[in-house]
Amino acid sequence: MILDVNGVTKVFPGQKKSKTVVNDDLTFSIEEGEIFGLLGHNGAGKTTLVNQILGLLTPDNGEINLLGESVIQSPAKARSICSVQPQSQVPLGNLTPKQAVTLMGKMRAGNKFDPKRVDILFEALDMVEWANTMGERLSGGVRRLTNFCMAVIAPGQLVILDEPTNDVDPVRRRYLWQVIRDLTNDGTSVILVTHNVMEAEKAVDRVAIMHQGKFLAQGTPSDVKSSVSNLMRIELLLVKESVDMEIPSWALSTYMNGSRLVFSINPATVLSTIEWAKAQMDQGFVIDYSLSPTTIEDAFIALTSKKEVV
Amino acid sequence: MNTLSHYKYVFQMQFLRNAGFLVFMALIQILISIGIVIGFTYLIPNPDTHSILFLATGAPTIILIMVGLVILPQQIGTAKADGYMEFIRTWPVNRSVILGADTTMWLIISIPGIVVSSVVAHFMFNPGYDVSWTVIPALLLIALTSIGVGYGFSYLLSPTASLSISQVVVFGALMFSPVNFPMDRLPEWLQTLHEILPIYSMAEVMRASLAASTFDATLGNYFNLFIWCVLGYGGAIFILNKK
Repeated sequence: MILDVNGVTKVFPGQKKSKTVVNDDLTFSIEEGEIFGLLGHNGAGKTTLVNQILGLLTPDNGEINLLGESVIQSPAKARSICSVQPQSQVPLGNLTPKQAVTLMGKMRAGNKFDPKRVDILFEALDMVEWANTMGERLSGGVRRLTNFCMAVIAPGQLVILDEPTNDVDPVRRRYLWQVIRDLTNDGTSVILVTHNVMEAEKAVDRVAIMHQGKFLAQGTPSDVKSSVSNLMRIELLLVKESVDMEIPSWALSTYMNGSRLVFSINPATVLSTIEWAKAQMDQGFVIDYSLSPTTIEDAFIALTSKKEVV
Repeated sequence: MNTLSHYKYVFQMQFLRNAGFLVFMALIQILISIGIVIGFTYLIPNPDTHSILFLATGAPTIILIMVGLVILPQQIGTAKADGYMEFIRTWPVNRSVILGADTTMWLIISIPGIVVSSVVAHFMFNPGYDVSWTVIPALLLIALTSIGVGYGFSYLLSPTASLSISQVVVFGALMFSPVNFPMDRLPEWLQTLHEILPIYSMAEVMRASLAASTFDATLGNYFNLFIWCVLGYGGAIFILNKK
């Protein structure tokens, strides 16, 4: 086991004498080579949790162990085990991506640093053309990619990435996920902090959904989804707004918006639903339809929109 | 991995990141220090050699105060505001190594100003320099005090507060501190204040090593600097390690 977090609670003093519980009795662990997603709204307490794992903050209660050693007792060790891409842009100033990533690699790995890895990373992320451009002149996306490379050039056993795909274009996002996946092949574990839920679903092995300092759900993406609902949804595009068409009796909740018709169904009725939809198309009522499982975003919204946190 | 190689890479990272700014600042320091030596001779009509020696041996102290207590706090303020400080705190190196590397960087940008202004003053006015061997340790002690105190208050206080302090320091050091003129010209309460603050001691120690046959520094001056230096760096390390 790489990381073991047990009952971690962190309270910040708020305005006047009030107190804000930023992390409330959080427990989870991460295995070798695993990608763990930490999903939550802004202000859910994700970054505070990460800062405690790094030993930058001390929990008010609970324990954090990295490779079996207490982070609270040896924070310096924690910083050499973990490498981090912070949420805020790291200003590079006059440094070029190549200089910044190389220096970070040397600082982390010393003599074991392999300069070829810088080129491999830049190629994998298709950013070779900016390798020797001064940081101040780079676009936000390339700077973010450079920050990412600084975190993974000589990864510790645990890499913590806080919103790594912000500002990055869709094509390079895919390259970035591939680089993250490759990291885990060498046994490196990854904590991915994000509010970009859809993207995370494809990338992570396990997720925790965090809301107001608590974990609302934890497990594989499909576990989390099925904890909310295991329904399917069908979305149809109608030829015009009011079509005289019969909605199947097994449709669970129907929702109509202009010429868009959405309803959810039980997975057992998928086949008959497709047949029904095809028939509607043949009759010329429906232009197009699509069938999809509940996404983790649906689950995320369902979980976090409940106002009461238990 | 040893401390020395950490120091090397941290220094390279910090220095290259700020390279443009640092070169520019070093040039500005050269101009300011020459400006002090020459400019003040316009303020004082017919200055005698003694007053010029005061100015010429005061200029290096002003440079070190500018770098440590004005430019450095501004840099730290920016680093705090754009999150760079938080990032530094995640590096797998000892925090004192970071402070050490940064101190070296600030030392490097103040030295050209000190050397150039002293050479210029010597050839223009020949005010009677008598450089003692103590110049190296004295310079280091003064620089470390100034840089250490700068770190201490800029880590401890908010960017706005430390910026305000640095503005007061520029004005106070130039006009109301016994750096470019003797202490006895100041009102008594300011004299008492300067016995405690490090600026007077910096000026005294600097003078005693640049013109050893004219000026003396007391043991108290060295002691004062030592205390401020320890307080400054101690405060900075405390804040860096604080959770």
